[in-house]
Amino acid sequence: MAAVGSAVGLGNVWRFPYVCYDNGGGAFLIPFFVAIFTAGIPLLILEFSIGHWARGTPPHAFRKKGKKWEWAGWITVLMPFIIATYYVVVMAWCFSYMVYSLDLRWGSQAGGFFTNFLGDTGSPLIIGGVSMPILLGLLAVWICIFLILYKGVKRIGKIVALTVPIPTILLIILTIRGLTLPGAMEGISYYLTPDFSRLGDVNVWLAAYAQVFFSFSLAQGIMITYSSFLKKKSDITNNAFIVALADAGTAFLAGFAVFSVVGYLTVSQGIGIGELAMAGPGLTFITYPTAISFLPFAAAIFGMFFFIALLTFGIDSAFSMIEPISASANEKWRISKARATGIMCILGFLFSLIFTTGAGVHLLEIVDHFITNFGLVTIGLLECIIFGWMFRLSKLREHANETSDIMLGRWWDILIKFVIPAILIILLIMAIINNVTNNPYPSYPGWLVVLFGIGPLLIIIGLSFILMKIKGKEAEVT
Amino acid sequence: MSLPLSAIVMLIFGAVVLYGGLAYFVYRAFKGKK
Repeated sequence: MAAVGSAVGLGNVWRFPYVCYDNGGGAFLIPFFVAIFTAGIPLLILEFSIGHWARGTPPHAFRKKGKKWEWAGWITVLMPFIIATYYVVVMAWCFSYMVYSLDLRWGSQAGGFFTNFLGDTGSPLIIGGVSMPILLGLLAVWICIFLILYKGVKRIGKIVALTVPIPTILLIILTIRGLTLPGAMEGISYYLTPDFSRLGDVNVWLAAYAQVFFSFSLAQGIMITYSSFLKKKSDITNNAFIVALADAGTAFLAGFAVFSVVGYLTVSQGIGIGELAMAGPGLTFITYPTAISFLPFAAAIFGMFFFIALLTFGIDSAFSMIEPISASANEKWRISKARATGIMCILGFLFSLIFTTGAGVHLLEIVDHFITNFGLVTIGLLECIIFGWMFRLSKLREHANETSDIMLGRWWDILIKFVIPAILIILLIMAIINNVTNNPYPSYPGWLVVLFGIGPLLIIIGLSFILMKIKGKEAEVT
Repeated sequence: MSLPLSAIVMLIFGAVVLYGGLAYFVYRAFKGKK
């Protein structure tokens, strides 16, 4: 359940519908399913097997394979920590918007309202002031994360028993409401009508693999950490299928909730979907709130439902990003769980502050772009190389097969050793070519992009070697 | 406006694979616990 909660996050609600629409609508489902079964589920099984076999956090698991590989484990837990520093800021936006839903404060100018709310200076070079509503929301979310994590894994179980079903029920209510609005079918048709000509486009296939990779919380040490808590007889393979299908199913459902309301907006305003902001923050904080304002009745309630759903979907993912690093510190240096979590939450809060400024949204965009396009893909590749090539992968396969009656065959080894690394290498090369040929931030100075884009990645790599070198207090791994 | 046939096909395809698959594996998990 915790793994499902971690995988299902903010990205499912706004990223999947947008990516699907942008890559051939319904036709995108075909590469998406292929990606789920050829990369997503095999990698989930690999991460579940690693954690379940090592019975520990990623640094412990990689060290168990060989002391010299411990740094790779630290990279996998540092990466989600960095992601959490800006992910929590987006949750703080949701927190404020949940309150604003009460009186639909954005009015008919959701775009301008969002810019004012952020205190956006229009440039990453002009820091401006700290936005107080975001700061308060940020503080609230970090305190929540601390309170959930500091007592350990048992509390996580109790929290996810609420935070997984509640947003799912809210999403179903929002979908039903959306589908009953006039013009809903316009949006759904836009979302689902397949453009099969796009199937020949390699970028569509890469987008599908990228979506699966990022949506399943892969390469973030989360699944390795969570699976180390599973009982010895837990069916790893079955669990991987449940997490993958629950995650993808939520994303698919979110598409109906979002596009039905977007369809209603286009009909009521007499504009085309192409004229609306459909990607990322634009969809969540401008287009959807605008549509909510136009609802004939109970608009405030549906606005609140939407942002509560986002917050509850997001909180599982947020604390799952902090858990691997605090659990790793607890495991290696025997720092108490409460203390390790407290230190990480304070550090996380301090790092998050930069994203609450007037330049925050621009810096967030840069950091996110480089972490998702390069950082996570590289870690996934590292996992496949270290566990697939440096050691006997069949040992992990046998470990997974011991507890499951879905038997993994040699096909799984082939996927982990050849197919997935090949896809990830192509993804990386394409990302490099795209960034070199089409500068994603032509209006920003190069040094700033390097500082906030490549800088965090280099710091993570350097820090992982330092953390590996610091002597631990845990028992020697044999 | 009604949904085009191709969109309906994709809808059914997605729902069967995702929700049908999820129901099947959840059922297996519960069956395994008994």
